[in-house]
Amino acid sequence: MSHSVEHPILDPTLAAPFPKAALPVLRDPQLRKNVAHAIDVIQTKRGKLVAEKTDWQELRSAAADIRTHVLENLGAYLEQFEERCTAAGGHVHCASDAAEARQIILDILREENASEVIKIKTMTSGEIQLNPFLQASGVGVFETDLAEIILQLGNEEPSHIVVPALHINRSQVREIFAKSMGRPELSDDPQALTEAARIYLRRKFLDIPSAISGANYLVAETGGVVIVESEGNGRMCLTLPKTLITLAGIEKVVPRFEDLEVMLQVLARSATGERMNPYTSLWSGVTPGDGPQNFHVVLLDNARSSILGKPRERQTLRCIRCAACINACPVYRQTGGHAYGSVYPGPIGAILTPQLMQMRHAQSLPYASSLCGACYEVCPVKINIPEILIDLRAQVIDQQRHNIGRFFDPLYLGLRIAGFLFSRAFLFHAAQRLGRVGAGLFTHKDGWIHSMPSVGGKWTQTRDLRGFPNQTFREWWQNRPARSSTQIAKEPK
Amino acid sequence: MSVTQGSRAKVLDRIRSATASVAADAANLHELHAAIPRSYIRKGELSESAKIALLIERLRDYDADVVECKLEELPDTIAAMLSASGRHTFGAPSGLPAAWMPSGFDWKLDGGLTHEQIEVLDGVVTGASCAVADSGTIVLHHTPSEGRRVLTLLPDWHLCILYADQVVETLPEYFARVQHPPALVTWISGPSATADIEMTRIKGVHGPRHLNVILVHH
Amino acid sequence: MHASLFITCYNDTLFPETGRAVVSLLERLGVELEFHPQQTCCGQMHANTGFRAEAYSQAKRLVRLYSDTENVVIPSSSCVAMMRDQYPGLFEELGSESLRRDLAALLPRIYELSEFLVDKLGVDDVGAYFPHRVTYHASCHGLRGLHLGERPLRLLTRVRGLDFAPLPNIDRCCGFGGTFSVKNAEVSSAMLSVKLQDVLATKAEYCTALDNSCLMHLGGAMHRQYAGMKTIHMAQILASTESTPMESFQ
Repeated sequence: MSHSVEHPILDPTLAAPFPKAALPVLRDPQLRKNVAHAIDVIQTKRGKLVAEKTDWQELRSAAADIRTHVLENLGAYLEQFEERCTAAGGHVHCASDAAEARQIILDILREENASEVIKIKTMTSGEIQLNPFLQASGVGVFETDLAEIILQLGNEEPSHIVVPALHINRSQVREIFAKSMGRPELSDDPQALTEAARIYLRRKFLDIPSAISGANYLVAETGGVVIVESEGNGRMCLTLPKTLITLAGIEKVVPRFEDLEVMLQVLARSATGERMNPYTSLWSGVTPGDGPQNFHVVLLDNARSSILGKPRERQTLRCIRCAACINACPVYRQTGGHAYGSVYPGPIGAILTPQLMQMRHAQSLPYASSLCGACYEVCPVKINIPEILIDLRAQVIDQQRHNIGRFFDPLYLGLRIAGFLFSRAFLFHAAQRLGRVGAGLFTHKDGWIHSMPSVGGKWTQTRDLRGFPNQTFREWWQNRPARSSTQIAKEPK
Repeated sequence: MSVTQGSRAKVLDRIRSATASVAADAANLHELHAAIPRSYIRKGELSESAKIALLIERLRDYDADVVECKLEELPDTIAAMLSASGRHTFGAPSGLPAAWMPSGFDWKLDGGLTHEQIEVLDGVVTGASCAVADSGTIVLHHTPSEGRRVLTLLPDWHLCILYADQVVETLPEYFARVQHPPALVTWISGPSATADIEMTRIKGVHGPRHLNVILVHH
Repeated sequence: MHASLFITCYNDTLFPETGRAVVSLLERLGVELEFHPQQTCCGQMHANTGFRAEAYSQAKRLVRLYSDTENVVIPSSSCVAMMRDQYPGLFEELGSESLRRDLAALLPRIYELSEFLVDKLGVDDVGAYFPHRVTYHASCHGLRGLHLGERPLRLLTRVRGLDFAPLPNIDRCCGFGGTFSVKNAEVSSAMLSVKLQDVLATKAEYCTALDNSCLMHLGGAMHRQYAGMKTIHMAQILASTESTPMESFQ
């Protein structure tokens, strides 16, 4: 595999902080090109369809309102979903954390003596690190999404939540398939590669009787589960096996079947820039003679309830995992997903990951943003991501206030001191004069600073800074001759 | 399972405390939901013929083969399409009208076909519940004339018979028609596709790669 | 028309010529200006880095300082965005009822420079002359925070002698982001590099904007790379006339 990034760690408890994790990616032209190309394609398609949708803003409002309403009444809707799903023949389980969810799923598979399982892509399973757990417990896991197969066979990690292998180009895919499918003659034509995946999976779909899926939506009114997909592997996994286990975050609920008229319209346009994705499936419980007869839903909390309890952060849970924010993000465009050290990258990852960790890890992620607001502009459920990023930064700083390490953090000290200096005009003025003298030491003959120590050095790595002028604006104003009324010109026509 | 019962109470408790200040009483929930403002387009404005034309355009964009016919021409039109496909063995849902199964082909009625039996079919013929013109979506509720889900999934060739009065313009109009939410729904908007390799759109991964539609006018 | 100038901490210290240009421009348009010498900072840097309490202290001080002012003009869209977007939340959480009232009364009287010119003074031709090729960078706070819309270009394209070169990908962030520029210096530089390609491709002599923050980031790289382009705050372009050219504010 010809790229410079060592195997990325998508575990927030182990990943390097974002500024460090981003470095090898920034130096990888191939990867940066792959990422930029992929998001340009989706952005162009999305832009065209959103422009054509004259009620796009109204749809966004309705989607945001529906999701807000659900979150505010989540308990009641979850109970309704559980009741309806159970009445329709499904089994509903509730996992308070990742470990519990993994165990519930394993127990169900063991009851079926399952040694293999086919899977539809679900980021939630990545969040709970399900695959390695099942493999270690003797259950072979076969991903069935093309991107997930590429990642699984190539021992790679996802870098996007909708197009997880966007950082891998066709010749890299060819290499992976040729080796792991024993097809050295395979060309790098995407059509041929896709055909190879189709053949590789066909028998697995027909032969493996247990499947695991995620859920795009849970419909409380009917106990129904909705899967939105493009390839058809979802339909295969939902229809052919005997046992189906659906893993879903508790926040995936929508109240009624009819609410899908909003959610499906905003999801397809946002995620893939289509009016509607090729296949959307809905099933409620068990239908005799049609599809899996042993159906389980595993509802996952894993700190979602703690996010729910924070009025300003609750909107994080509105997320429908469309990745529109990721595609719009100018930071993500340069770094790709692995730098975020989580299965959830980009703007949503920057707010969701630290909160799922209950602010014990991933404290660098809220700072992985220039606060440009492009994400908020495109979010179909109007999550004010910049607002939450700022809130989470405040939580990180509040942690740091009690941490002895703060005395060794020049930026922390600098900002505390600056806060003090801004509190009184005379202090601010003195600081300006001192700053002028200090900066003078670093100012070259051309009037610019080319190099500074410490935090300043992070600026001068790539940018010059113009030297401090010898007079502040205030000093100039205070030294102006008094103005008479004749000096104030007439208003121009 | 006692472990999960324990977590059920714990999780619901956490949720209850988290939303204590904002959750409504169960009695008011329905009202609150009904009060959500919906100012998006609920109904299209195209004429009947423009709507049909739009659906056909969208379907053809997906490389679906679309033919229109009058009701009395339906059996002949089906026969012509099946002939033109060069295929011979077709699956049929248990409730498919007999008039839709012309002779000269090998029909396998789904009275409980196994997956392996469906896997070797050349194609399948079904009805549908609705179609949405705006997105070129065909909606199956898997009724007896639409067939079990596996029947429209494994075969490589699918002929769908749609009546003109089953076509709506917008997605909300489909939902408005549904009196009781069905237990099973499949929304099909073109053959399967992937863009996972360099964002190059490849059609036909899993599921029927050939979609054919006969649009029947009364 | 009276207005009080909030120059901003970084303009006061690093870009006083922008302030001088604002004064020249507004006085030419008949505005009587005042300047409270007690002003320091709006608190944005602290708020955006997570120092909420410190940001609040500065915000409170600012609101008290301007409580009797008719209009406050600010040549920095990020500072105005801070006041509109974040002050209400800060005051809700940390402030008193009376301070919240003062803030609510003050906010409608706060104007970013282009808003003041176009909305309050009702002008888009300010009588400026600037015979150079210029491209305009839309800072994110101005674009998405303040929804400045057409105002900046309405002003810029009425400047006599100015050869306007539109900037491709105008809605893409330059990568400054406040303390992001040092906390994530490498990513910031990557974003800057990509942005600079678009800016330099316009073959303009000057890149202008309504925020010296973005401009010092772009201009700092231009200077480092001997790129042959300079940055200039739009106030300095609008203040330039035949008799008071740009250099008179330097």
